[in-house]
Amino acid sequence: MSRIDRDPAARSRLIGALAMLVILWPLFQAAEVKPGVLFDPGNLKVIGNFLAGFLPPETGNEFLGYLAKATLETLAIATAGMALAFLIAVPMGYLASGAGREKATLNPVTRSLLTILRGIPELVWALIFVRVFGLGPAAGVLALGLTYGGMLAKVYAEILESVDAAPARALRHNGADRPLAILYGLIPQASKELASYTVYRWECAIRASVVMGFVGAGGLGQLMDQAMKMLNGGEAATILLAFMVLVFAADGFSGWLRRALDTPPANRASPFGWRSGGLGLALVVSIVASFSYLEIGLKSLLTLGPAFDSVVVEAARSIGEFVAGFFPPDLSAEWLAKVGKGIWETLAISVVGTLLAAVAGLLLALPKWRAPFSFLLNTLRSVPELVWATITALAVGLGPFAGALALALHTAGVLGRLYAEALDNAPPAPGQALRLAGAPGGFAFLYGTLPGAAPQLIAYTLYRWEMNIRMAAILGFVGAGGLGQLLYFELSLFHHAQASTVIIAMLLLSIAVDQASAWLRRAMR
Amino acid sequence: MSFRLNGVGLTHANGFVALKGVMLQAEKGERIALIGPSGAGKTSLLSVLGTALAPTEGLAEVLDFDQNFWLTAEVKKLRTHIGSIHQSPPIPGRQRVVTAVLAGKLGQWPAWKSLASLVYPLDIAGARAALERVDLADKLFARCDQLSGGQLQRVGIARVLYQQPELILADEPVSALDPTLALATIRLLIAEAEARGATLVASLHAVDLAIGNFSRIVGVKAGHIAFDLPASEVTVPLLHDLYASEGDELPVQAHEPHFLSQAAANEAATRAACC
Ligand SMILES: Nc1ncnc2c1ncn2[C@@H]1O[C@H](COP(=O)(O)OP(=O)(O)O)[C@@H](O)[C@H]1O
Ligand SMILES: [Mg+2]
Repeated sequence: MSRIDRDPAARSRLIGALAMLVILWPLFQAAEVKPGVLFDPGNLKVIGNFLAGFLPPETGNEFLGYLAKATLETLAIATAGMALAFLIAVPMGYLASGAGREKATLNPVTRSLLTILRGIPELVWALIFVRVFGLGPAAGVLALGLTYGGMLAKVYAEILESVDAAPARALRHNGADRPLAILYGLIPQASKELASYTVYRWECAIRASVVMGFVGAGGLGQLMDQAMKMLNGGEAATILLAFMVLVFAADGFSGWLRRALDTPPANRASPFGWRSGGLGLALVVSIVASFSYLEIGLKSLLTLGPAFDSVVVEAARSIGEFVAGFFPPDLSAEWLAKVGKGIWETLAISVVGTLLAAVAGLLLALPKWRAPFSFLLNTLRSVPELVWATITALAVGLGPFAGALALALHTAGVLGRLYAEALDNAPPAPGQALRLAGAPGGFAFLYGTLPGAAPQLIAYTLYRWEMNIRMAAILGFVGAGGLGQLLYFELSLFHHAQASTVIIAMLLLSIAVDQASAWLRRAMR
Repeated sequence: MSFRLNGVGLTHANGFVALKGVMLQAEKGERIALIGPSGAGKTSLLSVLGTALAPTEGLAEVLDFDQNFWLTAEVKKLRTHIGSIHQSPPIPGRQRVVTAVLAGKLGQWPAWKSLASLVYPLDIAGARAALERVDLADKLFARCDQLSGGQLQRVGIARVLYQQPELILADEPVSALDPTLALATIRLLIAEAEARGATLVASLHAVDLAIGNFSRIVGVKAGHIAFDLPASEVTVPLLHDLYASEGDELPVQAHEPHFLSQAAANEAATRAACC
């Protein structure tokens, strides 16, 4: 081979591949990946028995009564949590956003506060609140409110910054102050996107509220946790089915709502018709109903004076003490070493889980005949990671591999659906041209179709990794290794100073992964 | 015989009749230009020859395969011998030029070679040789989204040169190129076909480009063959009749063809053809 006929990119590709190996190998080690265990006859028997126990699903009247109550509770937690999140997000988003300001000065204090709210997973908040307010839905509502409040605020702020700023600037020059300038200059442009994102988040909140039940925050999750702990497969199956129905229904409903936002307003003075009026009314009613169903005393929160008796003061004092117990965090070298190992393990779970999911998702996205595969993908993604983790822990034993597998199963469902969409939207001409030149279908895909879809596939995978690092951090709650296991352990032992170090580590890890993912996205463009 | 269409008709899925009763035959090594107003059926005719669409009527034989084979595994073998040049080059933007050119032989390579070439292009010299002929050797390792439209079109042509097909089908291959480059490219295709004894069928928008370079001209109008004559026998009234639906002006490359700088075109043609 002559000198000029050498690929100049080969060197950097080789180095890249080696670097990948050098990074991935220890991560796979840390995740304790042992595919063999999956097919170990003993384990297969255990999981076979367990899954066989799922049949037939429990249909006793008494249990169905519990189930209905828990389903309502889950919906109520999600709705009340979103209402709280909205209350937090509007002022925080207003403060954090540069929109409508004369100079685009961002508010760094609010921004960092939002990062903390978002960076700590809702499950961790729930775990802490359960300790303050006792078992029950109040902890779930508060946890959802804080995390989702942080997320909504950040996205609201960004949406307002992304629309055309000229109308708001013109209003301000005419003497309007900032709230009015935003209301009349920016909100009309951004309202659809704002509403659409809020509805989408509500859908996520339903999933999240199920998961929080696992730490005792009420609803379907709590019921599921109990059923799993008592190895009652029939009940678990019914709960899982109810959950899937709920997720599909929420999916459909939120899709319908978002499409409804696309229809142009009617041609009359008031842009609101029977549909928006009805929806608004339903919204108010469902929020009020949610709070009263959960028996979270709105009144006791709102009425001051006589309610401020010694009991309330006592409660406030004990909460204060509880919170103070988290400071200062334990920074002893010994503990830091343990947390460091937890960080590494959590990172490993997230990376291995995401990679396995990417491969499985791609394979499931490829077949032409979609129906059975769409069903499989939907099933995979409607079962939350924590539920998968209880099952994979049976299959491969407690530890990080169970966590990685659980993450992979759920994420494969999510990514598979997104991949299929992206491949569908990729330009067909290049692949078709190669087939017409005699290329076998597989290679026409690899050379013609895949390069067109690759940027989107990569972006989806990296975004999902950012979400998975947060999830990997809490899978340990059910014994799947990583930081979650440490946190769960320390909190049960009331070692709050140690727990606080772990929470800080989770926060830093999720921030670091966000940065790494953004960098990778840029580098792979 | 290179191909033979016997009473070929093509009705699209929506019921539109794009071709009817087409009789057309070509010997190996012939060079044919298809001309006709837009919507006449030139692309449809090339699609049938390229096995992209099966005729809904009549019999189509291409390189000794008749269309009864077109749904079987045989068609893959046939297709490796057909090279198509498209109006807009069907190449993914993120692909490197070298990979895009090598993809021309995916149908001929064993699977291991196709797979390995995704990681390391296995025939860099071959790709370079093909690119040299379209004057793009310096872009061998560039990414396709860094090329201009004309350069990308030439990459598509280089891919077909690399494929070395027996039948070259070109659908308005030069309508995105400037006149000088268009002439050079047509000459390159003709030289390639001549050198390898391949058959060339090209649809062209510009009448002057067709008549000046091709020995046989086929006029297509409303889904049938209006005339099929040696270039020397194509008359101006015949052309006006063919393009009646498009007004009095005949579509040409440059508005005054004889003002086209022949020297510049020749130079570009030699530059693109040799080296
Ligand atoms: N896939 C299709 N479905 C329906 N009609 C088509 C399709 N492709 C082409 N046609 C119609 O067939 C006629 C011939 O098209 P085409 O072969 O592309 O003509 P030309 O290439 O000469 O401009 C046109 O009227 C066009 O609208
Ligand atoms: Mg055409």
